Amino acid sequence: MAKNSITQGVYRVLVVDLFSNLLLAFSVIFQPHNLFFCFIGVLIGTLIGVLPGLGPVATISLLLPSTFHITPVSAVIMLAGIYFGAMYGGSTTSILVNIPGEAASMVTCLDGYQMARQGKAGPALGIAAFGSFIAGTLAVIIIMLVAPPLATFALQFGPPEYFTLMFLGLTVLTYLASGSMLKALMMACVGIFLGTIGTDTISGLERFTYRSYTLMDGLGLVPVIMGLFGISEVLLNIEQSMKREIYKTRLSHLWPTLQDWKDSILAIIRGTFIGFFLGVLPGGGAVIASFGAYALEKRISAHPEKFGSGVIEGVAAPEAANNAASQGAFIPLLTLGIPANVVMAILLGALLIHGIKPGPLLMKNHPDLFWGVIGSMYIGNVMLLILNLPLIGIWVKILKIPYPILFPLILLFCLIGSYSLNNNVVEVFLMILFGIVGYLMKKFEYEGAPLILAFVLSPLFENALRQSLIMSHGSFSIFLTRPISLGFFLVALFILVSPLLSGLKKKPPKG
Amino acid sequence: MKNYDRISSLVWLIFALYISIESLQLPLGSWRDPGPGFLPLGSGIVLGILSCTCYLRAQRRDSKENQKHWYSGGRWKNLILVLAVLLAYTAFLEVLGFLLATFLLLLFLFRGIEPQRWVVSIGGSALTSFITYALFELWLKTQLPKGFIGF
Repeated sequence: MAKNSITQGVYRVLVVDLFSNLLLAFSVIFQPHNLFFCFIGVLIGTLIGVLPGLGPVATISLLLPSTFHITPVSAVIMLAGIYFGAMYGGSTTSILVNIPGEAASMVTCLDGYQMARQGKAGPALGIAAFGSFIAGTLAVIIIMLVAPPLATFALQFGPPEYFTLMFLGLTVLTYLASGSMLKALMMACVGIFLGTIGTDTISGLERFTYRSYTLMDGLGLVPVIMGLFGISEVLLNIEQSMKREIYKTRLSHLWPTLQDWKDSILAIIRGTFIGFFLGVLPGGGAVIASFGAYALEKRISAHPEKFGSGVIEGVAAPEAANNAASQGAFIPLLTLGIPANVVMAILLGALLIHGIKPGPLLMKNHPDLFWGVIGSMYIGNVMLLILNLPLIGIWVKILKIPYPILFPLILLFCLIGSYSLNNNVVEVFLMILFGIVGYLMKKFEYEGAPLILAFVLSPLFENALRQSLIMSHGSFSIFLTRPISLGFFLVALFILVSPLLSGLKKKPPKG
Repeated sequence: MKNYDRISSLVWLIFALYISIESLQLPLGSWRDPGPGFLPLGSGIVLGILSCTCYLRAQRRDSKENQKHWYSGGRWKNLILVLAVLLAYTAFLEVLGFLLATFLLLLFLFRGIEPQRWVVSIGGSALTSFITYALFELWLKTQLPKGFIGF
C-alpha cells in the first residue's frame, strides 16, 4: 500500500506536475505579446553579442527603464532573451574576427578562429549554434526538474541561511575572478559599501547622502553598471586605434558533417552539464563555464595538443556551456531570490521595480512569470537557431561597422539609459564618474563583477545580517548552529582559506 | 605592474579610512541590534585590511619583477576630449533639449576623434538623433528633456 502511494507520488511529481507546468509555460509564451518581446530580446541580444563593446550587462540596464511600460512577464522574457541571445551572437565574432563579442565567447576564439582560417567557418558557426541549441534545450529540462524541489527546500531558509548563502556567493565569485583574489575581495567590500548609501530601511537614517535627493533612494544600479561596463570600455578602446580584420571566407556548409557531429556531440553534452552547474553556482556564470568546459575537453581529449589549432570540440563545448550556464543562472534567482551573476542582479532589480520579490514563493505567487520565463528560454532558443544560421550573412555585415562609428552610439545609449531611468541629470554625472572609476579599475586590473554583485546584494545582505543578530540576541553563533547555514559557511570558509593553504590559485587561461 | 598595485592599494586605503571615519558618525547600534553604521564600518575596516595586504604584497614582489608601464603611449587626448564632451552634454542637455544636444554630441564624436567625412558625420548625427528620439520619446514614452526650442 505504502509502496503504491510512493509510486503514485513520484508519478505525480514527474509526470503530472511536469506536464501541467510545461503546459502553463507554453500558454504564457505563446501569447502574442510575449512572443513578440521574446523575439525582440533575442534579436537585440544577438546584435549586441555580435558588436564588441556593448555586452549584455550594459544593454539590459539600458533597456530596463523601457520595460516599465510592459507587464513584468514580458519584461523579464525580453531581458532574459537579450542574455542568451548575446551568448549566440558572441560566438560569431569569436569565430570570424578573433574578437569575442562578449566575454563568455572568449575561449571560442582559440579554435573557432583557427577553423575559420582553414576555411571551416561554416561548420564552426553551425556547431556553435547547434551546440547552444542542444545545451539550451537540455538546460530547460533540468530547470523544470530541479527548480520546484529547490524552491520547496528554500522555504526552510531564514535570515541566517540567506546571509551565509550570499556570503558564499560573494566568496565563490572572488575565487573565480580571473585576476587576483585579494583584489576581487577588495572590490566586493567596495560594492557592499556602495550598497549602503541612501536611506537605511530599518532606522530611516540617511547614510552618505550629503543631502543629495538623488542619493536618498540609494545609488542607482543603472548608472553604476553603465559607467563601469559601458563607458569605461569605450574609454579604453578609444585610447588605442582598434583595427579588426574579418576573415574573408565563403560561408557554406553550416550544417556540420556526420564526422563533425561524432566529434562534438559528447563535448556538447559534457559542456551542458558543466556549464549548467557553474551557472547555478552563485558567483559562477557563463564566462567561467566556457573556460571550464574547454579545459575539461582538453584534459580528457585523446589529442590535447591539437586544441588551439582548430578542433571542433573546442568550439562546441564552450558554446554549449555558456548557453547552459546562462539558463542555469536563473535557478538561484527564481527559487532563492539571489542573483548568481551580474546579469541576474539587474534582473532582480527589474523584478523589484515591478513589485515582484523573487524567492521561494515566486513559483506559487507568480506561476505565470516563473514558467513563462522558462518557456521563453525554449522558444527563444528555437528563434535564435533560426536567426543565427540562415541570417548569418546579415550579422557578418553588422560586424563590419567600424568602431569610430560605433562608439558614439554606445556612448549615446549609455547617456539616454542613465537619464531616462528617473529623468535625472545627476545620475548621468554619476554614470560618467563610474565610467572613469571603471576605466582606472581596468587599467589597474581590478574587476567590476564582484563590485556589482556585492552592490546589489548589499541591502539583502545587511537585512539578513541584522535580522539574524536580532534573532540570536547578538550572538554570531546563530550562523553555525543551524545546519544549512553551517554548511554554506564551511564551504565559503574552505574557499577563502584554500589559496592560503596551497599558496597557488588556479586561474582560468586567458584568451 | 606591481608598482601600480602599490599606488592603487593606497588609494583604496584612503577610501577605506574615509568610509570608516564617516560611518562612526552614524549610530552603530549593538551586537543585539546593529545600527545603520554597522555594515559600512565593517566594509571599511575589511577594505582597509585588504588594501594594506595588497600594498605589502606588491612591495615584496616589487624588487623581483620588472616594472611595466600601464600607460603605453596611447592617445591621451582622445580620452580627455571624450570625457569633456560627455560632461558638457550632460550639463547642457536640459538647456539645449535632447535633439540639439545629441546632434552636437554625435557630430563632435564622429568628427573629433577619428574624423569621418563631413557628409557621414552630419548625416549620421542627424539621423541617429531623430531615430533615438523617435524610439525613446515617441515609442517607449521616455521623457527626454525638451530644452529651449521645445524638443
